[in-house]
Amino acid sequence: MSTAQTTIKLQSSDGAEIVVEREVAERSVLIKNMMEDIGEQAMTEAIPIPNVNEAVLNKVIEWCNHHRADPPTANDEDADSRKKTTDIEEWDQKFMQVDQEMLFEIILAANYLDIKALLDVGCKTVANMIKGKSPEEIRKTFNIQNDFTPEEEDQIRRENEWAEE
Amino acid sequence: MARPRREDREASTATSSSSSSPERTAYEEDTDFFTANRNDSQSSLGVPSLREEAMSPNPEEQERLYRLSPISRLPPELLIAVFSRLSSPSELRSCMLVSKPWARNSAEMLWHRPLCNTWANLINVTRSIQQADGYFPYNALVRRLNLSNLNSEINDGSVQPFQACKRIERLTLTGCTKLTDHGVSTLIHGSKSLLALDITGVMAITDHTLQAVADNCLRLQGLNITDCSRVTDDSLIQVAKNCHFLKRLKLNSCALITDGSIVSVAESCPSMLEIDLYQCRQITNASITALIRNGRQLRELRVGHCPLLTDNAFLELPKNMTFDSLRILDLTACHLLRDEAVEKIIETSPRLRNLVLAKCREITDRAVIAITKLGKNLHYIHLGHCMQITDAAVIQLVKVCNRIRYIDLACCQRLTDASVKQLATLQKLRRIGLVKCQNITDRSILSLAKPVPDQRHGEQRARALGPSLLERVHLSYCVNLTIQGIHALLNHCPKLTHLSLTGVQAFYNEEALTDFCRDAPPEFTEHQRTVFCVFSGEGVNRLRNYLNEAPQVTYDTEGTMYDDRDPEGDIDAEGQVAGLMNATAINDDDEDMDEIEAGEGSQYDGGEGEG
Repeated sequence: MSTAQTTIKLQSSDGAEIVVEREVAERSVLIKNMMEDIGEQAMTEAIPIPNVNEAVLNKVIEWCNHHRADPPTANDEDADSRKKTTDIEEWDQKFMQVDQEMLFEIILAANYLDIKALLDVGCKTVANMIKGKSPEEIRKTFNIQNDFTPEEEDQIRRENEWAEE
Repeated sequence: MARPRREDREASTATSSSSSSPERTAYEEDTDFFTANRNDSQSSLGVPSLREEAMSPNPEEQERLYRLSPISRLPPELLIAVFSRLSSPSELRSCMLVSKPWARNSAEMLWHRPLCNTWANLINVTRSIQQADGYFPYNALVRRLNLSNLNSEINDGSVQPFQACKRIERLTLTGCTKLTDHGVSTLIHGSKSLLALDITGVMAITDHTLQAVADNCLRLQGLNITDCSRVTDDSLIQVAKNCHFLKRLKLNSCALITDGSIVSVAESCPSMLEIDLYQCRQITNASITALIRNGRQLRELRVGHCPLLTDNAFLELPKNMTFDSLRILDLTACHLLRDEAVEKIIETSPRLRNLVLAKCREITDRAVIAITKLGKNLHYIHLGHCMQITDAAVIQLVKVCNRIRYIDLACCQRLTDASVKQLATLQKLRRIGLVKCQNITDRSILSLAKPVPDQRHGEQRARALGPSLLERVHLSYCVNLTIQGIHALLNHCPKLTHLSLTGVQAFYNEEALTDFCRDAPPEFTEHQRTVFCVFSGEGVNRLRNYLNEAPQVTYDTEGTMYDDRDPEGDIDAEGQVAGLMNATAINDDDEDMDEIEAGEGSQYDGGEGEG
């Protein structure tokens, strides 16, 4: 069965229907498995993606489309884990230049849809935002409230002194 | 893959399951901490501190928080996935200090392998572990402990605090020579999670410690007791009987070990992948036959310097059985082995990749012809000191096994330029050892520099050969070589990082040349230091530059146009075979030892070689 030209429909959590090439959609292991489970029927009816809204889904599809021809992910833990945090290809870096709300929505969607490579890019992007920053700078970057008492903070600091470089 | 589930948002328990997949190599300490954590992150969902109870905010409160700080949407497993991309403990420590949820989700990763590289760190780590009212139960978080950086200072007292860490999976005490049974067995007692133990060089260790291993560490997969020469069969048999998952065993120089324990290992540990019995001098044929016959997964077998082995170790293997897993076989100095054994080895282990027969002096061309049956599988072959072999066999070997990357023919004194000319056609050759092949001349070296393709294929083939990939070339005691030859080699081998020329007279005539040598290893004698002539790393480049600038040298350098592509770029694939003990890594020190042996044995070897 030739699948190259086939399109399918996805339905976002906010009800939008998005037409996408099957090959592109199948970058998502979740969708791929669903297609295998429900078979031909999937061609006519929209597949509901209840956890992802239209804006995020479009963004994810944009990524999948750009990476449609990537070789199948070396699922081998070793291979991809060796890559350094900073190794994000240029297109992906640009792709990830979005506000934080979108960034974390993309990560959640990549996780839900099971798109390993996109999840990886997302996590690396966040890791790069953390690197080289002090705890206070990290809090500022992500608008996190410091819920430690000064005593607790001091205790953790002391107990983990060995990790300071 | 885990999907985000809201109920997982708050931290769960501290007793998450084991962090190691059984597939992971046992002794990869120091290289894989953060990579390994990525696996852990799937199952661990943060550590509650001893102070607080995790509590869930109400839905509106949560929605408000999400808008304010979008990162709070990430469930623990995704926050952990982010943390696992960080590359240093200090970055993780910064994360710990951000907020309570961040602390819960980074503590386990940070403490997975506490960094005990300095004495001050060790003190800090042990104090936190021992603290009754610590912010986290750090002792339960430690999975790997490596004290080898402090090995000269560690004693039984300094390891005592770690007996509270009962979930350690990898314990590395390499070279902690002050440790005794008391200290080590205290650590091991109750360590049911231990997967890998390395006590290399902890020489005071006796059966007492190994008995503790057998009693406690039923999941053990890797054991390295190199140089623990007081250990006997008694405890090792218990280890074999109890630790059925054992995959990697390294017993180098455990002189008291005999067939009793090794046969027991062979029979009780069906998952064995790698076993190293270097210099277990009492081992006989029974051990080897049992290991190969029972080890259907056995990949790596090193039995160098086990002088009692004979052909029967292999000839007694069952007929019509092959051992397809075996990739690496090292029989260095098993001096009784003859061609029959090699023929049987090749017949039963057709997928051998590395074969070391150095100093198996009985073997002849017949063995080499048998080895050619390995064809493209053969990547690494050591025939040093196999002095009976001749050009005919080497030429045949190289023609058929054209994927050879590493070849050593040291002291094969019958070999001539004809062999080297053929060796030069090996496209993947990275390392060549020709120490003391005294017949070879500049003609060999020139062909290595610029291989001459088969007449039949002509120019086309010459282009296909591409630039030389040679990285390490050993030419010590090749007394006929001249500076011109070496100069051409240097200019045609852009990747060269090691060049040994000890005893090549031409190099002593010009003092400036020896300036670029590296220093002789400290254990060398005065005489050995004087003659030592090895260029490595930058020294190779400096020698090349010097020769290129020296006015008197006029040498044809045509054909120095390189195409830098790696023909297949698959050297990394080979790296996977190396396994835990790094025994396949080319070791500079060993090579230096070759230098000594070649140098000192000259009068003796010379007599034997001719004839």
